Amino acid sequence: METAVNLVINSLVLSSMYILVALGFAFAISIMGIFNFAHGALYMVGGYICYQLAGSFGLNQWLSLVLAAIILGSFGGFFLERYCFRPFSGDLNRTIVISVAIILLIETTANILFGVHVQSIPPYISEILKIGTISISADRILTIIIGVFLLSTLAFFIRWSKTGQQMLAVSQEPEGAILQGIRTHRISAIALAIGCALAAVAGSLMGSLFELSAFMGDYMLIKSIQLVILGGIGSISGVLVGGLIIGIIDASLPLLTNAAVTEFVGLMIVIAILVFRPQGFFGREV
Amino acid sequence: MQNFQQNLSLACRDKIKQPVIYCVLVIILSLLPIVIKSTYVIQIFIIVFVYIIATSSLRTIATSGQVSLGHAGFMSIGAYSAGIMSKLLGWAPWITIPLGAIATSAIAILVGYPFSRLRSIYFSMISLFFGVAILSINSVFAEYTGGSYGLTGIPPMFIGSKIPYYYYFLGLTVFSLLFLYRIESCRIGMSFKAIAQSPQVASSIGINESGYRVLALAVGCFIVGLVGASYAHYNTVLSHSSFNFLASIYLLVYMIVGGIQSFGGPIIGVVILVWVPELFRDLKEFTPYIFVAIILVVVYVMPKGITGLFERVKLWIKMRREGKVITHAS
Repeated sequence: METAVNLVINSLVLSSMYILVALGFAFAISIMGIFNFAHGALYMVGGYICYQLAGSFGLNQWLSLVLAAIILGSFGGFFLERYCFRPFSGDLNRTIVISVAIILLIETTANILFGVHVQSIPPYISEILKIGTISISADRILTIIIGVFLLSTLAFFIRWSKTGQQMLAVSQEPEGAILQGIRTHRISAIALAIGCALAAVAGSLMGSLFELSAFMGDYMLIKSIQLVILGGIGSISGVLVGGLIIGIIDASLPLLTNAAVTEFVGLMIVIAILVFRPQGFFGREV
Repeated sequence: MQNFQQNLSLACRDKIKQPVIYCVLVIILSLLPIVIKSTYVIQIFIIVFVYIIATSSLRTIATSGQVSLGHAGFMSIGAYSAGIMSKLLGWAPWITIPLGAIATSAIAILVGYPFSRLRSIYFSMISLFFGVAILSINSVFAEYTGGSYGLTGIPPMFIGSKIPYYYYFLGLTVFSLLFLYRIESCRIGMSFKAIAQSPQVASSIGINESGYRVLALAVGCFIVGLVGASYAHYNTVLSHSSFNFLASIYLLVYMIVGGIQSFGGPIIGVVILVWVPELFRDLKEFTPYIFVAIILVVVYVMPKGITGLFERVKLWIKMRREGKVITHAS
């Protein structure tokens, strides 16, 4: 019983965090048409900013989480979109080069500032919930709540706000959106800012549940590309479904086999999906 | 008539000039170990040769319109298969290196057929996942491959000095570049380029699209398997992380920075991006910033890479000589 409950909680934790990171990557593809390989590095930076604010400056941990999201979001919205991605939109090769430049810049700087040894953000709540005989760490429940809250807020934002609808319009038909008077660049800046802020939140939460290292972004990058491919490029609900599938695989298979087999199974599913249904579950042909 | 003959002789001179330059370059490179005594510099040269071969083979795949993001994964197939064969079965390097290349090529053909259905971005994505999947297969069979600790104790090709390795890799580079150049300039290479420009038009004139795509992948992977297997015997230790996803991306970056359009692009890209940061290695952990600075300059200033800049300068000089004013050269 306890294993089952923990299994469900772990898969929800992983799913919600994967989805939070992957949404930023999905926004970059569907709205700006670029592969933002630097997204994993941005996720890592979010964790480190939170760690630094809470550790060195002694701020409240919740405040530093919010600040990390704001700092990274404004960096993404004001700087990344304008100077790094806008000049190269639609050019896959040069976007990859610029992403590699950003990754190297960020990872080298993190390496110099924080060293190679692994750090960890202290837990947000250190209590342990006891329901009957089952004990659950409150930290994980909290992570799930934050993740679900952010995702549903985002869903409402996209569904009901004008900006959200404009984002959908740009992702469906950029030229048509321009004809309707939508300021495409501003919309992509907002989308990138949201993506970076979500990645920062995920980085701060994962940095407390697991650990912080200068190279933790590479793993998350592969996961978010998997999610986006599984759900289909250009589909937000696809990311949710893909995130649940990958999260459940990642949480349940380690009980049966080792970590390497788990990774392999996840990759094989994605490769099979790509071969037989390249547009993913909900995507459209690009 | 005289004018025509003059033109013809000029063309012949141009045709002869280039191979002469390359021959002189190879002779200089082969005389280099006599002058340079430092083992460290020799090692840098060997690494540059390895990357030149790997990046050029990646470019051959890219000429057929398939930007592979998993090339380091294919390189690891060659390296690990040669390493395991020589370590467990005790075969000589002269057998395991060709076998490693053939194994890489065979796997490329096997996966190439299902992958050839996918175009542009989707091919890049599936090759990325394939590269990562190869690494995780590596960890699954950790008892043979050493897993994340790496494969150690591969028998070296030459005992002692690094000089024989230098000549071996120089020869391998010359062979691979000639091979890839030959492929690119013959009918097969033209078909690759036709497929890259428009798959529909290419198939309408009778080019077998998926066949040529698989062929491009197989040729590129044969060469990269060859260099991977040789690298295994040179380094004698294979680390898990040197073939990861970022390694594939780096190969792509070398190619794009050098210029994807011309055959010399990958060579120039590798020489600049591998060698120049080595010159600044006194900066220790700050060295990656040099790399970043170079690629930022290239990506913002030279849209077609460094060789693209050469082409533009050449065109500009030609136009100036003919007294024409150019508005935008590209």
